[in-house]
Amino acid sequence: MTASDLYQQRVLDHQRAPRHYGALAAATHRADGENALCGDHLHYDVRLADGRIAALAFTAQACAITTAAASMLAELAAGMDVAALTRLEARFAAFLRGDAEADPTLGELVALAELRRYPARRQCALLPFATLRAALAGASTATTAKDSA
Amino acid sequence: MSTADAATPFDPLRYRADFPLLTRQVHGKPLVYFDNANTAQKPASVIAAVDDFYRCHNANVARAVHTLGEEATSAYEATRDKLARFLNAPSRDEIVFTSGTTQAINLVAYSYALPRLAPGDEIVVTQMEHHANIVPWQLVCERSGAKLRVAPITPQGELIEEAFVGLLGPRVKLAAVTHVSNVIGTVNPIARLARAARGRGIPLLVDGSQACPHLVVDVQALGCDFYAMTGHKLFGPTGTGALWARREHLQGMPPFFGGGEMIRTVSFEKTTFADPPHKFEAGTPNIAGFVGLGAALDYVEAVGRARIGAYERELLAYATAALQSVPGLRLIGEAPDKAAVLSFLVAGAHAHDLATLLDHEGVAVRSGHHCAHPLMQFYGVPATVRASLAFYNTREEVDRFVVALEKVRTLLA
Repeated sequence: MTASDLYQQRVLDHQRAPRHYGALAAATHRADGENALCGDHLHYDVRLADGRIAALAFTAQACAITTAAASMLAELAAGMDVAALTRLEARFAAFLRGDAEADPTLGELVALAELRRYPARRQCALLPFATLRAALAGASTATTAKDSA
Repeated sequence: MSTADAATPFDPLRYRADFPLLTRQVHGKPLVYFDNANTAQKPASVIAAVDDFYRCHNANVARAVHTLGEEATSAYEATRDKLARFLNAPSRDEIVFTSGTTQAINLVAYSYALPRLAPGDEIVVTQMEHHANIVPWQLVCERSGAKLRVAPITPQGELIEEAFVGLLGPRVKLAAVTHVSNVIGTVNPIARLARAARGRGIPLLVDGSQACPHLVVDVQALGCDFYAMTGHKLFGPTGTGALWARREHLQGMPPFFGGGEMIRTVSFEKTTFADPPHKFEAGTPNIAGFVGLGAALDYVEAVGRARIGAYERELLAYATAALQSVPGLRLIGEAPDKAAVLSFLVAGAHAHDLATLLDHEGVAVRSGHHCAHPLMQFYGVPATVRASLAFYNTREEVDRFVVALEKVRTLLA
């Protein structure tokens, strides 16, 4: 195994050119997410129609893993409601823990499989889910991780 | 390991051999352990002391009259003597054992400061403190209505002394300052700060977590009132530490925890307490850990603290120059008087990504906010990478670190 298994081209491509990046006009829902461990920050603008994501955009001051995961999630999220997003998050978390195999619904997120070997970095990939879920639920903030000594 | 005289050139390889963990590999590469400010590795003598305690002497302390109890008490209390000498405390009775620096600071916050604080009183800290030297003071301020005042630092990471002294007004009941910054390595001029504070009748607490592994610490020369330290950064076991405090302070402080080992007599009407330091040591302590800390103190004294300091200064200068050669690298904290701690950012690369990729190269560094959010806010960065060195680190490891850094920087660029 080498470093490039985690920081592989697909991941770095999403980090360097994140999809759905920026602000969204006429957003109906917004949330900020913060990783308490490192201070990484995400912001989501979402436009909901009939409870489903019609459009979304995000900005990130974050590591490559968080930025890439947010970009990959953005490509999957259109049309989802809270329940569908929560199911996707549960499947992705199980995949990262090694409790579930890759499946097509995870899209490009499967490129983050190497996080199975990096438990301390998994929260980096889950912050986009927590933040988007907070936005859909009408909350304004989401956090992952705790302070460390 | 034998004691070296001051004239012998410092050979880190000789001491590395005393640290079993330093021989291991990570991701198939020889480990470069540059996370010493987080916790230090342990020499074989410390590991053996803990092992020997459990194999041959395990008993509770200060209770049993049987042989094992005597042996355990004697070994445990011997560390108090060693630590008193290590800190040049006037008396062993001024050394209170704690689980570490955090507990030592909390003891002062709740037992010394809180009873003295009234609404409008003040506690002074600095911009560069670890959360352990901020949050306990905030908690007692919240309870008492006192206010926390923060002394500023320069962009180089030096405390602005005049500003600190300027904050020492009539409402200040205590000042708390780190001896060495855990993030940027700045060594604060404690003796001058203590003179200024005590001259105004204000006691000074010093957070010595990061100083003890690097400096000769002499609490009498420093002239402070409280000195908090931890064992695990000083090559000893986790869960060990101490508070040194002037006798008059300890005598006036009520107990923090109640329980066994801290009493003289107990009845349901009235309990009388043991004298310091035992008054503050309720319950069964980390006995084996403190026996190990005693071995760690012996080890450090045998290597020689002045020699450690001189070698680390040289290694820091070498590492600083090497890092400055890395394109896009920005050092955070460039105080003239620094311990061997290097925080930095690399343009276009996030601290956690760098740390994960450096780990693949066998290099262990810390990334994040280092439990010092206010300092991160001062520098306007969410996180840094921190390389913190010890006397068992070498120039060759610095070279491998820089090569690894170049490699991962290229990958992320």
